[in-house]
Amino acid sequence: MLIYHCNEDVAIITETVNEEDVEFRLHLLQTEPYLERLKKIRHDFEENDIYTDVLFYIYKNHEYGAIVRRAYYVDFVLALMKHGLLRSVEWKDD
Amino acid sequence: MEQQAILAIVIFLIAYALIISEKIHRTIVAMIGAALMVIFGIVSQETAIHHIDFNTLGLLIGMMIIVNITAETGLFKFVAIWAAKKAKGRPLAILIALMLLTALGSAFLDNVTTVLLMVPVTFSITRQLRVNPLPFLITQIIASNVGGTATLIGDPPNIMIGSAVKELTFMAFIQNLMPIALIILVLLIPIFIFMFRKQIKTTPELMQSIMDLDEKELITDRKLMVKCLTVLGLTIVGFFIHQLVHIESATVALTGAFLLLLLTGEHMLEEAFAKVEWPTIFFFVGLFILVAGLIETGVISTLAEKAIGLTGGNVTSTSMLILWLSAIASAFVDNIPFVATMIPMIQDMGSMGISNLEPLWWSLALGACLGGNGTLIGASANLIVAGMAAKEGYPLKFTQFMKYGFPIMILSVILSSAYVYFRYLM
Repeated sequence: MLIYHCNEDVAIITETVNEEDVEFRLHLLQTEPYLERLKKIRHDFEENDIYTDVLFYIYKNHEYGAIVRRAYYVDFVLALMKHGLLRSVEWKDD
Repeated sequence: MEQQAILAIVIFLIAYALIISEKIHRTIVAMIGAALMVIFGIVSQETAIHHIDFNTLGLLIGMMIIVNITAETGLFKFVAIWAAKKAKGRPLAILIALMLLTALGSAFLDNVTTVLLMVPVTFSITRQLRVNPLPFLITQIIASNVGGTATLIGDPPNIMIGSAVKELTFMAFIQNLMPIALIILVLLIPIFIFMFRKQIKTTPELMQSIMDLDEKELITDRKLMVKCLTVLGLTIVGFFIHQLVHIESATVALTGAFLLLLLTGEHMLEEAFAKVEWPTIFFFVGLFILVAGLIETGVISTLAEKAIGLTGGNVTSTSMLILWLSAIASAFVDNIPFVATMIPMIQDMGSMGISNLEPLWWSLALGACLGGNGTLIGASANLIVAGMAAKEGYPLKFTQFMKYGFPIMILSVILSSAYVYFRYLM
């Protein structure tokens, strides 16, 4: 399974597992430059061919929600890692 | 019948059958058919080009550019979430709000573009509410066809009719078709509430999650949005006054598109052009030439004569025949080639003694646009929504859609028949 560690200085990330998807809640603690990076992640997932892979929701005070289909969980976590919102990502045996 | 006429009919019918079968992309079929019309000398290249309606093509291209650039600003997502919040997150109220937005968008943009903009945001809202998106998509398909009926630019059949008949201006479409489109839309609201009230229920917590959304953050580029709204507004004003200033609707749309590109800078040019649906544009080109083959060989005139013979040249009977034939045909075959064939036929009826063609044109527009609701293959917007839904894991079956769409199509055509009769024929 994929294990990730948040970059606590940058964002607080929580996830809830539902039947078909995983729901993330991201609260940005540092907006510069991470708000733009989060927007880039959102843009990339919204512009691809699959509309419901990751659905983004924007709340007040730089709080974001993301409903991620299970099949795209890894892609989403890796996108967060790529843009510096996570400190580390690793595969662990179940 | 002359050999050339028989050849034209054969090419046309084979192309038509292949378009219906969807085995080969409709654009390839139409363009090959058009090429054959020229190669076999049924029409010369010059005549073929003369028959291509550049007003229809220009209008479509211009609007596609304006809408695609506007979509980049996040405006349409903002409006959808704003409407969902106004509906207080209640699924049934959101269903009606999105349906009305789709109808409005379809009237003033075009119905295919509108559903392309609405479907992603519908998935977003329904996923958050954890409700089935299909009732939302079905109502949006139906609303897109009804909304598209209301204006000259709303649905491809109307664009083609408006372009072919100079007297039928943007205002004429609004004055004649918007009242009946509004009546149908208002009647659909209680029908949809009754149909879907039990299928889309959610919890108060999930409704609250919609209310917590910050829709203002969806606007990605405010400066660009102001430019887009200004140009979109000017373009719509241009449609209202195009006849007064003696310019065609395509000139209005293309001027708007290139004015917007001038304001945004040339960095948007390539992306804007890439998003134009060129297969649709070339499909129209092919169709215009296919129909040209039938016109030039006298086939259309013969069909018009037979239709007049069938109705005795009576305007009422001819109107009703056109309305119902268009509706039934449009439910099962693509309404664009059907309308492309009917336009010259109605024009020929004018030269064969029917003096008042106006009810015939409105009957064709109403039948072709509203008939699209009959089945899933009835209109381009239906197929696009069904394709998007299937790709996301929500297959919309032919029979499932027909269960809702066909009775609504029959109801709307009955209402349209009464409207045409009482307004133009009594």
